[in-house]
Amino acid sequence: MIALVDYGLGNIQAFANIFRRLGIRAEPARTPSELLQADKIILPGVGAFDWAMTRLNESGLRETLDELVIQKKIDVLGICVGMQMMAQRSDEGTLSGLGWIEAEVLKFDTTLFKDRTHLPHMGWNDVTPTAEIGLFQGLDLPRYYFLHSYYMAPIKPADTIATTDYGIKFTSAVQSGNVYGTQFHPEKSHQWGISLLKNFAEL
Amino acid sequence: MLRPRIIPCLLIHKGGLVKTVKFADPKYVGDPINAVRTFNEKEVDELIVVDIDATRNNHEPNYKMIANLASECRMPLCYGGGVNTIEQLERIIGLGVEKVAISAAAVYHPDLISQAARRVGSQSVVVVIDVKTAGSSRRPEVVTHNSTRRSGLDPMTFASRVESLGAGEVVLNSVDRDGVMKGYDLELIDQVRNVISVPLTVLGGAGSHTDLSDLVRRHGIIGAAAGSLFVFKGKYRAVLINYPNRNEKDAICSSRP
Amino acid sequence: MIKQGYQICCNCVMDTTDQMIVFDDKGVCDHCNTFYQHTLPNWHTDHRGQEELDKMVETIHAAGKGRDFDCIIGMSGGIDSSYLTYVAKEKLGLRPLVFHVDAGWNSQIAVNNIERLIDGLGLDLFTEVIDWEEMKDLQLAFFRSGVPHIDAPQDHAFFATMYKFATQHRIQCILTGANLSTECIRNPIEWMYYQSDSRQLSDIHKRFGSHPLNTFPLTSIFWHKIWLPYIKGIKVLRPLNCLPYIKEEAKQLLTDRFGWQPYPQKHFESRFTRFYESYWLPKRFGYDVRRVQFSSLIVTNQMTRVEALENLSHPSFDEATIGQEIEFVANKLGISIDDLNGYMNLPKKTYKDYKNQRQLYDLGARAMRILGLEIGGKR
Repeated sequence: MIALVDYGLGNIQAFANIFRRLGIRAEPARTPSELLQADKIILPGVGAFDWAMTRLNESGLRETLDELVIQKKIDVLGICVGMQMMAQRSDEGTLSGLGWIEAEVLKFDTTLFKDRTHLPHMGWNDVTPTAEIGLFQGLDLPRYYFLHSYYMAPIKPADTIATTDYGIKFTSAVQSGNVYGTQFHPEKSHQWGISLLKNFAEL
Repeated sequence: MLRPRIIPCLLIHKGGLVKTVKFADPKYVGDPINAVRTFNEKEVDELIVVDIDATRNNHEPNYKMIANLASECRMPLCYGGGVNTIEQLERIIGLGVEKVAISAAAVYHPDLISQAARRVGSQSVVVVIDVKTAGSSRRPEVVTHNSTRRSGLDPMTFASRVESLGAGEVVLNSVDRDGVMKGYDLELIDQVRNVISVPLTVLGGAGSHTDLSDLVRRHGIIGAAAGSLFVFKGKYRAVLINYPNRNEKDAICSSRP
Repeated sequence: MIKQGYQICCNCVMDTTDQMIVFDDKGVCDHCNTFYQHTLPNWHTDHRGQEELDKMVETIHAAGKGRDFDCIIGMSGGIDSSYLTYVAKEKLGLRPLVFHVDAGWNSQIAVNNIERLIDGLGLDLFTEVIDWEEMKDLQLAFFRSGVPHIDAPQDHAFFATMYKFATQHRIQCILTGANLSTECIRNPIEWMYYQSDSRQLSDIHKRFGSHPLNTFPLTSIFWHKIWLPYIKGIKVLRPLNCLPYIKEEAKQLLTDRFGWQPYPQKHFESRFTRFYESYWLPKRFGYDVRRVQFSSLIVTNQMTRVEALENLSHPSFDEATIGQEIEFVANKLGISIDDLNGYMNLPKKTYKDYKNQRQLYDLGARAMRILGLEIGGKR
């Protein structure tokens, strides 16, 4: 069963609908006991870093999440701010992140943009996986929807499993052991997103 | 490579979808959920939904309807209409909406913009600027409340201001061109584009795919929004939800400068 | 195990789920016999059909002189109306206005198909959108009434709107895709009562509906069977009866020419109709409309009885996806899945339990037959 961490942010329903159509069991998890039933976890996210971290910390799920992810090594997929929260810190806020990945979150350097539009990075962009495996199994030239002004910079290059061009080539998807993250929104990226979520379920 | 966005804009009036001309004469177009479902199938880039009654009639956003739309919508959704407090904004984001648009509130309570940017992040705060050429001088002016109130504000100055306050996107809407389907107001768009660096989306006047290509050719990365174009077909304005298919979209997006 | 008294026609596949079916001593049903004895002899798709078509075309040309279009075609996006549109424009050289009624249930395929045909044939489209709150209320009223013909609101709206439009714009000729090739054998009245009976519609709405029908288009048997044709001179023409119409060939042609997408079953252009015909009707009442559709194809030699029986041995709905369909319909109607399933268990009613104009229809049908005006097999 895939647990969709429900701490009041992110489109839980969109994930639920996609998994239901795929015939894969996914349920919102609002309490530690609901979370403990999970084989896999999805941590969605929308919003500013501190606001999201505060809501997660106050949700009562923090301890259980740490236990499942760090100790039990359950597969977890963080989405957008959900992915950024898995880092140690962010330029966007003052609170600490979850620290599940050795990384920090930085603001894009706007001097690198040639086009008139700078931030946020908003719209459909190409994602280049380092290999067509795991989350990106069977995904050739996928594109996804991005909506962010900050990006994750993992300390270990090997943790980057996909990159995207926006001023710089930044990390658009990460993996460190059982911890996965996508900067983009697979739940809002039509068939490419559905395929990625299916791949996550089948890991 | 980031692409230009092609965005249907749906207006909701008394719970049903409508299309207006110059912000008047709403014509019933159908059930919003059905439209969203059709757009899902057409793999639309993103969707804007505006409740045109909420601000004018001073009532709360219809949260139940918003939740239904968000739950059905398989692409990013921007909701606008009747939002003027931080609590409403947060609540709507919590329902699974990616972006919340404010219009009158940006004019009359601009601190809402910075407040929202701090909480939900700039990327989710959209300011819609309705522009009408008004007055004896025929200069473009920002209007609100379904174009029933004039603000006296110049669109360029206002756009620049909302950006500095933390808006993550500006939607520039031409009242004069709404529903007319004879092309975007390219001059106005040029002027606003030059003073802001947040993503810009334009609405009002698109009548054909050529209008979309022309816009992209001129500005590259931009949001090309349209209401009538994606809802009507042909000279009798027959209601038929449509959207460029994959090839047509690629052709429009590759018209870049 | 065959139920006591169960019998199936040895020629087509209609059986005793049609409560009024009658078999002759050879085991052939009255649907088949009516077809062979009354319908077939009067149905011409050869040179005689061509003559009828030529006459039709003349009438339409004359009526449309000096106007932007000379006829209207009721288009649902389904195979019949789609093929008709193609025939009207390319084979008959007519200038039709394509007319579509959006009752809120258009499937994505239907919307695509309409668009492809309009674009491919260079035709104009007019749509009428039914107020969703009213349509929803009426559909729920029908569910609550317990009758089988819960798709009447959609059908009724379709015809009423088209006729209204024709009257308002003084259009003389309406073309429909109704055809004997796939519809010579009709749904029994007990399964699908006359959708045009506004007395029934109003009575059911009065008893089980709540939202006033302010804009919902209403027709009546008097209005569209007598007033419009005989007083206003509005003709409803069925060109597909005058030429050879083989469904599979038609589908292939439209797919090749226009990128038209076929539907898994007849009438699947509306998601409600799909739910109704493939799930609701068979599950609640045991009425499988495939029997009727296949029987038409059997007597017109487009399908063998063996093929039909083989198809009928499979369920009419997909077990794997029916849950999603039920959820979709419930959500759209604004009720819970439990409520929708609850309607499944209501006591079964028939059209006779509510006010109706059945006698008027029978009178009319008899008169038409005597006058040689109706050769279809609806009873």
